[in-house]
Amino acid sequence: MGWRARILATLVLLVLTVSPALAQLRAVELYAPRAFGHVIGDTLTLTAEIALDAPFVLDPASLPPPRALNYWLDLREARLEDHGVRDGVHRYTLDLVYQTFYAPLEPRRLTIPAVALFAIEGERRVPVEVPAWSFLMSPLREIVATGPGPAMQLRPDIAPRPLPTTPLIRGLALALGVALLALLLLAWQMGWGPFGRRCSRPFARAARAIPSTLATAPGDPTLAASRYARALQALHRAFDATDGKGVFAEDLPGFFERHAAFRAAEAEVRRLFEASRRAFFGADPAGAQRELPPEELVALSRRLRAVERGTA
Amino acid sequence: MRTRRLALTATFALLVASLLAAAWLAARLFVVERDNGLIASLAAGHDLAISAEDPPALLFARLHFLITRDRLDEAQPLLNRLAAGEDRDLAVAALYDIANARLRVAFNHLESNRIDPAIPLVRLAKDNYRRALVLAPGFWDGKYNLDIAMRLVRDFPQIDLEGEELPPDAVKKLWTDLPGLPRGLP
Repeated sequence: MGWRARILATLVLLVLTVSPALAQLRAVELYAPRAFGHVIGDTLTLTAEIALDAPFVLDPASLPPPRALNYWLDLREARLEDHGVRDGVHRYTLDLVYQTFYAPLEPRRLTIPAVALFAIEGERRVPVEVPAWSFLMSPLREIVATGPGPAMQLRPDIAPRPLPTTPLIRGLALALGVALLALLLLAWQMGWGPFGRRCSRPFARAARAIPSTLATAPGDPTLAASRYARALQALHRAFDATDGKGVFAEDLPGFFERHAAFRAAEAEVRRLFEASRRAFFGADPAGAQRELPPEELVALSRRLRAVERGTA
Repeated sequence: MRTRRLALTATFALLVASLLAAAWLAARLFVVERDNGLIASLAAGHDLAISAEDPPALLFARLHFLITRDRLDEAQPLLNRLAAGEDRDLAVAALYDIANARLRVAFNHLESNRIDPAIPLVRLAKDNYRRALVLAPGFWDGKYNLDIAMRLVRDFPQIDLEGEELPPDAVKKLWTDLPGLPRGLP
């Protein structure tokens, strides 16, 4: 486990050779950190692997509570891990974390006392002992100071430090960056500012132009017919611009394939092309206006603008 | 189209969320900068009143201000608050600094050969160092200073000799052998 050399102190209690009272205890193996070079305030973790015969379980109430064991030794933590029963053997791992506060003047051997636990099965109780462990503690300072400066020079205080602002500044920059990106994305989606030109919208232009093109004084059928024809042309130019080439009635299936969004208005578009056929090739402007009256032409242009914008 | 509208809504939500986050962070930054200003002025020697709701770093700055002026009794409530707080590093720093301050006062007493008032100060300092080391076992400055305090108290007669490892008759002898202390005596 990590950097420290583990010294294995094994206490194997052979089942057949010991008294019947211990027959239920298979083995206690103690894994300890290195047994030397510890200084004041160090923590020491002893790990005991305990194996019991199956019906026996370790009594959790016999675990030592974290406390000061004596004036120099604290038990900080006692963790018991149950590995369950396998092949009739119940295995546990017990971690005991100690902290030593001994201040030796010279290297000195100290002993962490044994821990007495109990295995129980019904009314039967069997003692389980995690063995004692001894180690060498080392001093931190010489007995008589020979270094420069006063003999009992304390290590300096910890000065107050300002609160860290870097994470906040970084977070703020990130949030503002995301906001800017979202704003740009929104502008692109809405066609604001410089994005308006880039994603030019032919149907939007046509829808803007058509009502004024159609506006005419009543009672002048010739003029009205020519204006109607110009309105139709405006809409056709929008189709051409959208597709990048001329769109005729026979091209419509391909157009709808390339611009699936316009399928929503397929019936109206077909009527528009029928009206155009009559107006431009059938020399039947009146029939064309019956097929698609000017009001409906305006409505269609608005509908197509909505489809183009994606808000239909 | 549905997806376009959905994308538009999502972008708008992202914009609003990021602006809200930016506003919150800016407000936090403002508060932290203000606290840093207070910490700096405490460090510069201006005594400022601190309320209990202030952040732990500010409490620690005030504690440090007090203990560097030997106002240990006023610092104690701040220490209690910091030691019970969430911030482990600040708790360790507060315990360590106040222990250092107590030890320095004890040194002053010892230099004037006033042993009786020094003993409880050293014992309190030891207790504070131990609490700091419980929180941070790898804190070397704390270990070093606790070692100093341990040897001081070990050498006093007539007290519960914590960490005693010498026979009582050797105690007084060792104390006078310690270099540097007490100073100014013949």
